[in-house]
Amino acid sequence: MFKYIDCIDAGSPYCPCELALKGECIICSQLHGKEFCDCLNWKGTCIYQEFIWNGYKSKKIREFKKFKIVKREYLREDILKLDIKVNKELSRDLNDIGAFVFLKNEKDAEAFSTPISILSSDIETDIITVVIKREGIKSKAIFECQDEILVKGPYFNGIQGQKYLKELKNNSCLILSRGVASAPTVLAAKKLKINKNEVYVLLDRGRSRENFSKPYFLSLGCIVEDVSFLNIDGEIKYEYKKEIEQLIKKWNFKTVLSAGSDDFHEKVINFIYKIDKYINFATVNNSTMCCGEGICGSCIIKGSNNEKIRSCKQQYNPKEVFLRGIN
Amino acid sequence: MKVVVIGGGWAGCAAALEAKKCGADVLLIERTDMLLGLGNVGGIMRNNGRYTAAQEMIELGGGDLFELADKCARHKNVEFPGHKHATLYDVIKMEPTVRRYLLEKNINIMFEARVVDVELDKNSIKGIYLYDGTFIEGDVFVETTGSTGPMGNCLRYGKGCSMCILRCPSYGPRISISKRAGVEDILGMRGDDSYGAMSGSCKLNKESLSDEIREKLERDGVYIVEVPKEDVNLEKLNMKVCQQYALKEFAENIVLLDTGHAKLMTSYYPLEKLRKIKGFENVRFEDPYSGGKANSIRYLSMAPRDNSMKVTGVDNLFVGGEKSGLFVGHTEAIVTGTLAGYNAVRWGLGLKTTTLPASLSVGDIISFENSMKENIEGLKKRYTFAGASYFERMKELNLYTTDDNIIEKRVKNLFIDGIFKERLL
Repeated sequence: MFKYIDCIDAGSPYCPCELALKGECIICSQLHGKEFCDCLNWKGTCIYQEFIWNGYKSKKIREFKKFKIVKREYLREDILKLDIKVNKELSRDLNDIGAFVFLKNEKDAEAFSTPISILSSDIETDIITVVIKREGIKSKAIFECQDEILVKGPYFNGIQGQKYLKELKNNSCLILSRGVASAPTVLAAKKLKINKNEVYVLLDRGRSRENFSKPYFLSLGCIVEDVSFLNIDGEIKYEYKKEIEQLIKKWNFKTVLSAGSDDFHEKVINFIYKIDKYINFATVNNSTMCCGEGICGSCIIKGSNNEKIRSCKQQYNPKEVFLRGIN
Repeated sequence: MKVVVIGGGWAGCAAALEAKKCGADVLLIERTDMLLGLGNVGGIMRNNGRYTAAQEMIELGGGDLFELADKCARHKNVEFPGHKHATLYDVIKMEPTVRRYLLEKNINIMFEARVVDVELDKNSIKGIYLYDGTFIEGDVFVETTGSTGPMGNCLRYGKGCSMCILRCPSYGPRISISKRAGVEDILGMRGDDSYGAMSGSCKLNKESLSDEIREKLERDGVYIVEVPKEDVNLEKLNMKVCQQYALKEFAENIVLLDTGHAKLMTSYYPLEKLRKIKGFENVRFEDPYSGGKANSIRYLSMAPRDNSMKVTGVDNLFVGGEKSGLFVGHTEAIVTGTLAGYNAVRWGLGLKTTTLPASLSVGDIISFENSMKENIEGLKKRYTFAGASYFERMKELNLYTTDDNIIEKRVKNLFIDGIFKERLL
């Protein structure tokens, strides 16, 4: 199988990073303990060259900056939407598929910093919108932010398999989305629509009356259908399996974007692969992240060959991670 | 039977052409938008022993590309230090001429398609992957991806990217296909025990030279002027690929050859110093663009092979050009590429692969280079019909001749005249 490896930061202003400095670059063989070129992906710049010309140092790491919260809105008692006024550069950078930031209350320690996907980024007003679900200690701490918040970014690896979304033009894409995981898919849908793709969204409303992202999808011109994917055993209901199959036949989707838990991704991908093995997948990145720089190791998952994937930076083909029983 | 040739330089073009002449279905995959690779900035043919080799190939039936190069010649019978009877082809006409020729022969060519991986079935290559994941199947494969660059290598073993004709940043780096198939690369070495060697010439923009120099160059094909004493740099000769041009004369003199551009026979030359020379006051580099500072690094990726050009350790992979050894030059690439293409088809048909006899220079160089690569000293040498130790060997073994009749007789006596013209299927 074609090995799709990419580092989302490769060739960006944040490359070479600390991984390169310590001989752990995801892409460059010369910055991974080897003496000759054998880079795993090419994005138009030589990381080794950038490293040497940067004085054998990594580029500056992203840092927290303080920004104003311009609007707080509870979508449900445990779901908070924040509008944050950031600077021009950040709003521009965050207006991209898979964009996310780390957020933190100023009074809290570094360990509280939590990754949050961008729902939308308005490059005119420089206001980014994020949706946070209260789950544990870090999200609770964000809920305490009133007027100001610390933001660190931009980060881009919030969606895996981005290649399969970015290469779609004049085509069609199916989005299967549950809960707050739908937030990053709104931005993805925006980019898909710009590239003249039809976007069909099956949107799970969860415990709410309707999913908060529905109006966003509708305003982008997506076709949206409210669903409730899972039965009591946590399996995709028969009626939706049937519907997905019919939609695939009708629309001939080239890519399916799955937005839910990893368990949901696995169910979706294994089911759809049996219908059509040539469909590509993109998945919302659910990995636990603490630093976002590939250093802390909390985001490391295992690929199909048991190789370590630093999923905060590395792009993988979701089939390689979630598909069972093939290689 | 489908033969997939990876790399469209001189060796790849020769391999594709030969496989097609043998009757195979051929796909040639090229990373950039042009064929010939370094052949777009070379141009020197038929100097010294290369004359013999070219004539041998013509007699063997594999002379198409030599004849095309002759047709694109700007100058014939040119002499410059250490070199006789050179033909200088026009680098601007050569690529489109070869491209048209291959297309007329119905060879499929994919441009801007970089091969990044292989799919193996035990020791056999089932197919290759392009950068975008496209899978291409084939029965037999010929790798002619060269041994030059990419940027990181040019930086670590040279003086950085010089923006050469290979254009790595635009089209992505060369990938060693044999290595992807599990075979370790062999590396060429330099006198100082480091790896690789620097390309030996650059091109100056002819219009940037004085009228007098340009006129002389276009009339005679060659222009020689002394390097100011304080700027003579003999050190540079040690790092040069082209040991046939690593003579003292090339350090003490500026040697220009007319190949369409003005070919400057040195690895690089600081612009400031170059402009001190009379007639060079406005000079600028044409290729590599940063020829004032650096040049590309080569010989960092050779595959172990037998003398039929088959890679040791992979059942259906053949190699030609620099990928197949420490060969320098277009002639050497065409010779090794042609044999690789020929044997690829034979292998595909289940026939025994063949070697060229050592009583011909084209056969001798292939086996001699292979035996020399076995030790460190041999890895520090380069092998070319045009000079250095191999040309000496040609003379010693009485292989070197410019008498076409003798060459014709030699090939005929071996009963192999025209073998590269024969259809095998």
